[in-house]
Order: sequence, then C-alpha cells, then structure tokens
Amino acid sequence: MSGGNVQHAPIRRRWGFGFTWVRLVLFALGGLGLLAVTYRLIFGLGAATNLNDDWPWGLWVWWDVMTGVALAGGGYSTVLVVNFLGRERYRPIERAACLTSLIGYLLVVGGLGLDLGRWFNAWRPLVSWGYHSVMFELFICVSGYTVVQIIEFLYVFDERLPLPRIVRRILSPLYVPILIVGVILPFLHQSALGSLYLIAKGRLDPLWWSMLLPLFFLVSSFYVGPAMVTVENFLSASAQGRRPPIDVLSGMVRFAGKLMTWYLVLRVGDLAIRGVLPRVWEGSVQSQLFVVEVVVGIAVPAALFLVRSTRLQPFWLATGGALAVLGVALGRANVVFTAMADSAHGATYAPSIVELAVTVGLISIGILAYLFVVENFPILTEEEAAEASSHVVQRTMLPVPLRPIPSYVASARRGHPLDRREVAGLKTGEAISSSP
Amino acid sequence: MPPNTRIPRRTFLKAVAVTAGTAGIATALPAGSAAASGTPPEDLAEEHAGDRALLIDLTKCVGCGRCVDACKAENGLAWREDHPARGPDATLAAANWSVVRSEGRVGAGGEPRYVKTQCMHCLDPACASACFVKALHKQDNGIVAYDPSICVGCRYCLMACPFGVPSFDWDATFGSVTKCDLCDERAERGEPTACSEACLTGAITFGSRGELLKEAHRRIAARPDRYVDHVYGEHEVGGTSILYVSDVPFEELGFATGLPTDPLPSYTWEVSRLIPPTAAGLGLTLIALYARRRQVLRAQELREAVATGTEAQA
Repeated sequence: MSGGNVQHAPIRRRWGFGFTWVRLVLFALGGLGLLAVTYRLIFGLGAATNLNDDWPWGLWVWWDVMTGVALAGGGYSTVLVVNFLGRERYRPIERAACLTSLIGYLLVVGGLGLDLGRWFNAWRPLVSWGYHSVMFELFICVSGYTVVQIIEFLYVFDERLPLPRIVRRILSPLYVPILIVGVILPFLHQSALGSLYLIAKGRLDPLWWSMLLPLFFLVSSFYVGPAMVTVENFLSASAQGRRPPIDVLSGMVRFAGKLMTWYLVLRVGDLAIRGVLPRVWEGSVQSQLFVVEVVVGIAVPAALFLVRSTRLQPFWLATGGALAVLGVALGRANVVFTAMADSAHGATYAPSIVELAVTVGLISIGILAYLFVVENFPILTEEEAAEASSHVVQRTMLPVPLRPIPSYVASARRGHPLDRREVAGLKTGEAISSSP
Repeated sequence: MPPNTRIPRRTFLKAVAVTAGTAGIATALPAGSAAASGTPPEDLAEEHAGDRALLIDLTKCVGCGRCVDACKAENGLAWREDHPARGPDATLAAANWSVVRSEGRVGAGGEPRYVKTQCMHCLDPACASACFVKALHKQDNGIVAYDPSICVGCRYCLMACPFGVPSFDWDATFGSVTKCDLCDERAERGEPTACSEACLTGAITFGSRGELLKEAHRRIAARPDRYVDHVYGEHEVGGTSILYVSDVPFEELGFATGLPTDPLPSYTWEVSRLIPPTAAGLGLTLIALYARRRQVLRAQELREAVATGTEAQA
C-alpha cells in the first residue's frame, strides 16, 4: 500500500461522516444484524440457525467465509501485480482494493467467530496445534493475514494521525517483509478453503471432489479480483452518471479471461482424468448446477473477456464481470450445498431469519466502515475524492471505489508524505517514477 | 537489454511456466487420486490389532434395544421424542450415542433386520485429523476420544466423518460435539462396553480388533451360505474398530458403501505436506521479484535524473 507516485486526496482536518437515506438504511440493517448477533450469542446456534447434524455448515460458511474470502482476494492480487510484477498502471486502485480486502477479512473473522459453537475457546489453536487439520492452516493464515492487513493500514493511518515515534521505528523496516507475507498467506488460505473438502471424499459429489480443489479455489479467487473491481466500478460509475474507465478495466479482465480459460481446461480435464465426465449429462440437479457453474459462470465470462470487441463494450464488460463474480459465488455454493446434498440423509437446510439478518447486517456494517474510512483517510486519489464529494456523498451512498485514474501519472511529482519513507528501497526524498 | 528481445523472452518464459505447471498438475493428479498414505492399510490393521473393539453380527440382532438403554444409562443421556434412538427413524444425535435402526423385513426369509449404529472408532480417524485443536484424538487403546474443554465448536469433524457420526449439541448456548466414546471410563477399569454387556443374543461381541476380525472371518467361512462375504469395517477408510457381519448386503441396510479403502486423512496430507515448500518457494520468488523491481526503478530514476539534468543545462 505504498504511496508511490499516486497523489492521494488531501486529508480533511475534521473527522466526518455524511449521512444519506441509503446510509441510514444501512445503519438500520447493521443494527438489526447486531440484534441477531446478540440473539445468537445468548441462545446458541440451535435457536438462531437452521443448521443440523446433516447440515453442520450453512449460509455463514458459504457466504461470510467461502465467498467473502474469495471476493476479498482483490487485495492480495493487486498488491502482487503492482508491487511485485510492476504494473504501476494499477497503483491508484491499490489502497481501495486493500481496504475492501481488510474490511472483508474483518467480516470473515466476525462471521466465522459467530459460527463457532464455543467461541470462547477460539484462542486454543494457538497453543494446541492440530497441524494435521486444514482448519488449522486456515485459522493461522486468515488471522495472520488479517493482522498483516491491519499493519498495512497503519501506514495509511499514519498519514492521517501520526503514530508515536516508537511505532514508526518498528513499522519502517517492516514494510517490505509485510508486503511479502501479505501475499504468501492469502495464497495458502485461499487454497486451504478448497483443501477443507478433500477429507469429505465419499460425501462430496464427485463432480466437485478432486485432489485439485485447493488449486481450483486459489485460481478462482485470483481471477475474481479483476471481475469484482469491474463490477464495483460499474456500480459507482452508474451512481455518478459517468463512464467507467473501460480501457483500464478491459486490460485487467483480459488477464482474468486467460486465467479462466486455463481454469476451465483444468476443471474439465480433471473430470475426464477421474472418469466422471459422463456424470455431467446425467440430468440430475447436481449435474445441471455444475453445467451452469462451468458454462455461465466460467466459459461465457471468459469468452466475453477474451474477445476484444465484447470486452471494450461497457454492456458486455459489465455482464462478464457480473457473471464471473456470480460464477465464483455459485461455485462455492455448489461445494458447500449442492455437492453435499446427497449425503445429507434426506435432511434439508434453508437459512433462518436470524442467519440472514446477521449476514445482511455484517455486509451493511462493512459498507459503512468502508465509507467512513474512505471519507476520513487518504485512500482514494485526488480526482476520485473530488468526484465523490461532488456527486456521491450527496446523491447516493456508493463511493468511487477502486477506480483507476490513468492521468495520475501527471500528478505524480508532487511531494507526498509517503514518498519520504523508503518505500521501494529508494533514498529519502527521491520520487519514484513509473512507466506510463 | 535491447527492446526487441524483451517480449519474446517474456512470452517464452510465460509459456514455459504455464506448460510446466499444467504438466506438473497432470502428473500429480493420478498419484493424488491413488492417495498414498503414510501408513499402508495392512500395517494400520497390525498396529491396531490390540485395540478395544466390537463385532456386531446383524444376523443375531433382534432389535430389543437393551444396548441403547444401557448406553443411555451409562452416559446419562436423555430420551427425546424428536430424536428416536430405536425404530425406523433412529438417528445419532447429541443424546443418542448408540441407536438401533429397524431396516424392515429385508432378511432372506422376510425377517426384520436391525442395525446398531455408533461411532466406528476408525483406525486413522478423519474427525481427529480434521480437529484443529486436537479436541478429538485417537487414544492408545483405540478409542477416538473427545475433550470438550478445548473444543472450539467449528463442526469440521461433522463434515469430515464419512459415517455421519459426530453430533452437535445444538440446543446449548455453547454447544459441544458428542459421540460414543466406547465407554472410556469402563475401559480404565478393564470392563467391556455397556452395550455389549447388555446384549442377550450375542449380536455384540467385545474384544480386541485383531481377534474379532479373525472371529468375523471364521463366522463367514463357517456359514458362507448365510453371511455376505464382507466384514464391514475391515477396509473401509483404512479400517475401523467396530466390525459388522451380515446376511443382507450392507448397501441395503443403509450403510455407507463405496468408501475408499485409504484413510481419509491421507487425502488432506497429500496437499498439506506441500504447504511448507510452497510457502518457501513463494517467499523466495517474491523476494526475487521485489529485488528486480527495485533495480528497474533505480535505473529509471537514474535515466530521468540525467534527462532532467540535460534539460536544465539546455
């Protein structure tokens, strides 16, 4: 999350949070969610959820954990692309992507905590290492990465509220190691979410059970990053009545399209090698949902991203982004629900009102937190913030997240607090320039 | 580097990486599907021959339910109407550690058949390997034991168990996992399980796994016309300490059939063992990438400084 050559919005003196109707609704939903959380904590999982012995994991695991972690993958993939692969073009979206990721992970930790029957024991894995469990890897990596992201945010925080000198002394040499650990940990736990289901061989439908599950989860979390950024850009652009930056987005999704093609070949090849291919045209609910996932959720968006004429058209670009995101959400749902249905001994599961209220409440709180941070910390670029304050705050709640500003290079020369830190190993005071 | 060699080199490297990656996965796949475990199943059986075990002969069970009564009494479990412990709908639940399920008149002569169900006490238990705090663990005497004081309540064990055994106490504010512990307390006193002691028909035999396995095969060999030639639990998921023999095929009695003969933890291990080298390789790659990036930035900086200097001179 280094500043590099991006000019971030000047920081306002006063803390503030503008109110709109939409934000009030979000506050109300967040409040309801907290009530539901209280109910769950007092009365337990049986009273609050529709989970049972045949369906021990439900909505919270699917959405708050599985899908939430995947969709928050935009953070680590942006850090990797910008800081390690040197694509400076995407530097302006780095902070917003990382903020989305940080808030996403805090929600994941919250959602996961609520799902634990004996949450007061949540510290136990730190001393009683069940290292043979994938859940252990997941616990260590997700909590570790959340801490890493909080530290990454401290560098931004420092620009708003200078940290004590001692903290700065500690943080300064940590910058690069933190960046590196912040890429390794997500790589491990994105795949671990898939590895979780390896042990369910025999229970998980063979259409989904594969030794490659960890790789599938990792790859899909990586390509869904650009797709998610595209969707977010279109939402914010339409809220402001402006044109989304098609040129930058199409560059990102082209890469996603290539990755998705490779993913598609792997998924189908894996079925063929395991001899499960005939199961695809069996006509069962499982096979139909598998086809929808692979065709509508992977193949179609991949094609839309790869073909030049469709990826440059706003409508098809947005459609591709939305399909890819929904495809990943459906893919996770297929593993959590569809593939487990046959081994549930006829038992059914549909989320309860409390489960829904908690999930919706957590999302609302997440959006509000994002808005608060964006309005009070140097996250957006100068131009984004200007647009946000002239349109967004007054008209609607949607901010301008993750919108890359191609012209940022022009404003790169002005001094910025972060430039004084030795960001890329450069000497104090040197400005980093980039290739346009 | 001259600019014209740049792109082909990069494309070439990328192509090499993608090809190598795909080829690596393709070769890893069959190996992974075969899933070689640390301990081969035969050794596992030998290692656990002395374990506390039960042999359940379904041809001898009359469905009286005395074993269920004994289990409930021994462990202080409540009778609950919504979770029957006997009859056609009997299922394992928080208060049902052992149940007897009626399977209807499926016997060769139309006799009813009953299936006593409880924790199978796997030789290499999936639940214990899935537990990330070791609240579930395999004891030296073969019992898969549970310690609620360190359990986090994540219910991954419920997901992992191929037999659907562990239950969660959903009604409690701080629910815990529950299941048969093969009468661990009695084991300390050297006594058999409560259920086997209560059985009047000889359907439940208590002993060591090695002996009971021999006994099971002896019964099948003595009456090949009667028994199905299959000791359920001998090979399933690497073997279990509860063994079944039957005259009706197991798939008709609601048993989980078609389970792999490899212990389930071996599948996870295939992937988990790759984590340390992957993390190390990834770290080194990132360090190399970052170092290279810094060089590029410095060179650029230098060029620009020179350019600015020239401009200033002009």
